[in-house]
Amino acid sequence: MLEQKVNIVSHQKIAPDVFLLSFRSDYLAAKARPGQFVHLKPSGPWPLLLRRPFSINRIKGKNIFIMYRVAGRGTSILSSLPQGAELDVMGPLGNGFEIDKKYSDHLILAGGIGLAPMQFLADRLKTMKLNARLFYGCSGKKDLLPCAVPGKVIATDDGSCGYKGFVTDAFLSRINKFRTPVVYACGPWPMLKKTARICRENKIDCQVSLEAFMACGVGACQGCVVKGVKEYLTVCRQGPVFNSREIDWEQEATL
Amino acid sequence: MRNIRTKNNVDLSVEIAGIKMKNPVLAASGAFGYGTEYLPLVSPALFGAVITKTVTLLPRAGNVPPRIYETPMGMLNSIGLANVGVHRFLEEKLPELLSHHPLVIVNIAGNTMEEYAELAGMLNGQPGISAIELNISCPNVKQGGMAFGADPIQAVKLTTLVKKATSKPLIVKLSPNVSDIAAIARAVEQAGADALSLINTLYGMAIDIERQKPVLGNVTGGLSGPAIKPVALYNVFKTSRAVNIPVIGLGGIMTAGDAVEFMLAGAAAVQIGTAGFINPNTVKEIVNGLKDYCLKKKYPEVSQITGKLAV
Ligand SMILES: Cc1cc2nc3c(=O)[nH]c(=O)nc-3n(C[C@H](O)[C@H](O)[C@H](O)COP(=O)(O)OP(=O)(O)OC[C@H]3O[C@@H](n4cnc5c(N)ncnc54)[C@H](O)[C@@H]3O)c2cc1C
Ligand SMILES: Cc1cc2nc3c(=O)[nH]c(=O)nc-3n(C[C@H](O)[C@H](O)[C@H](O)COP(=O)(O)O)c2cc1C
Ligand code: FES
Repeated sequence: MLEQKVNIVSHQKIAPDVFLLSFRSDYLAAKARPGQFVHLKPSGPWPLLLRRPFSINRIKGKNIFIMYRVAGRGTSILSSLPQGAELDVMGPLGNGFEIDKKYSDHLILAGGIGLAPMQFLADRLKTMKLNARLFYGCSGKKDLLPCAVPGKVIATDDGSCGYKGFVTDAFLSRINKFRTPVVYACGPWPMLKKTARICRENKIDCQVSLEAFMACGVGACQGCVVKGVKEYLTVCRQGPVFNSREIDWEQEATL
Repeated sequence: MRNIRTKNNVDLSVEIAGIKMKNPVLAASGAFGYGTEYLPLVSPALFGAVITKTVTLLPRAGNVPPRIYETPMGMLNSIGLANVGVHRFLEEKLPELLSHHPLVIVNIAGNTMEEYAELAGMLNGQPGISAIELNISCPNVKQGGMAFGADPIQAVKLTTLVKKATSKPLIVKLSPNVSDIAAIARAVEQAGADALSLINTLYGMAIDIERQKPVLGNVTGGLSGPAIKPVALYNVFKTSRAVNIPVIGLGGIMTAGDAVEFMLAGAAAVQIGTAGFINPNTVKEIVNGLKDYCLKKKYPEVSQITGKLAV
């Protein structure tokens, strides 16, 4: 974990309200694992208080990519920063996905901006010569986000592209094709909840990446918890990736 | 152990409640966890002393999430004293923190006065603990906390009881959610408090207008950060003039300038809470900034800032 000042190398809009930002960090490039995140803010004027957490979308050489959706004041300020602007970045934080070669198929399920951490994961699976597949759901064709993975299944709510319906249904309809699959999921709470149920019913191991409001990002404030089956779990330190069996899915979604 | 002073040397050490600290910048309870979460980013050794997250007799799960929310230049939290309980604290957390810093102040809370006293008694046998900070000011728990901090009679009873249970220096942490903080301060001073910390968070809330529901799972929370600095500063100013024991100031301190303001208003030391979440380097910057201020003002000792305010 390091805190450093970096400069924006590239910053572009890639879909309505969605941006792709990159900066150079030798440290993160060497240390980060798929599923980990950074806690960042502009290092110049920032009329807000807390940092904001973002998954690492991809690492290309020494460049770190963040893919984010404008959700409120912080992300809207972020989206206005020009190339060259300085960012203050803390990371890598969190635990990341656990990759185990014992599985025959590594299935990535993403909903909306939940796609953000998955390119890094897909890249890592590829380097490890593991069989990866992406199931990606979004509202419609115009909201499609880029992710380079072989064997993509796309689902859209309005049917404007690929399977018409939820990504979880697209996944369920193909579930018997895999021998010993593992699922990595990130997206809105209802989607994760459904994914967890499907995986439990079909005895599939499933890792989910969760979100929560964060202050410290390192496990010191106890602010970012979700309810686990036994106890509260800190999303920043014990997560953001959890085994889906660890989570109490009946709790009210907090985000 | 006085530092040898040369032209560019400032003695940053302070003595509070009989504890000599190498600098007057402390980690506030609840903001620095059990002292090691920020490793390797922030070494606990940078602080004059580390105050741990509130410890209770039994483990506490804390309140229903969401537990934090950002407000204009502040944050609301409703953590609810989530902690591992005193047994695991002593077994797992304290030794690790002590391996990084010899000056550890343990912040405690209980549901009843007896629980506070029992905790203080248990900690008394621990040589590694430099002092106890009594949390009678947490706005996020139903029992204990504010119930004892808002009423001078209860505060006196509790302080007297805890003082009897421990031979360690006792710091009492006060709440601004009262009509006259100086009255409470005088009362606990008479009951034997060796120092005071103020302020804890202010009651606050936020509403999600789409869902028409409170944002926090606990409905209300405690407000901290720069938004509360003027309130905290006023409380430190008012209280430090009303008592003869040292006052440790906190509430929205982000920079060395903020720390100087608190010391000018009467604080003998300061604590960093919310600022550390945003800028982990805060402690280093404040310690260095205090030194620069002393050099500029030609103060050989940092303690000379305390109470210098001209009114
Ligand atoms: C570990 C982790 C990784 C994340 N990775 C990404 C990512 O790669 N790309 C991306 O676009 N977003 C990601 N998020 C969500 C992102 O942090 C929030 O969208 C962002 O903090 C919102 O800030 P804001 O100031 O724009 O919104 P605010 O003004 O604070 O709030 C506006 C809206 O955003 C929602 N929001 C606020 N904070 C969060 C949060 N932490 N998580 C989810 N929603 C939030 C609020 O509910 C509110 O509706 C991640 C969150 C976590 C916890
Ligand atoms: C997330 C969080 C958790 C806190 N937990 C505690 C606690 O356990 N015990 C306590 O005495 N104060 C606790 N506090 C209060 C702080 O120690 C401090 O009094 C308050 O935040 C004001 O200082 P600040 O503005 O510098 O943060 C907490 C504050 C925050 C923000
Ligand atoms: S954000 Fe502080 S514990 Fe997770």
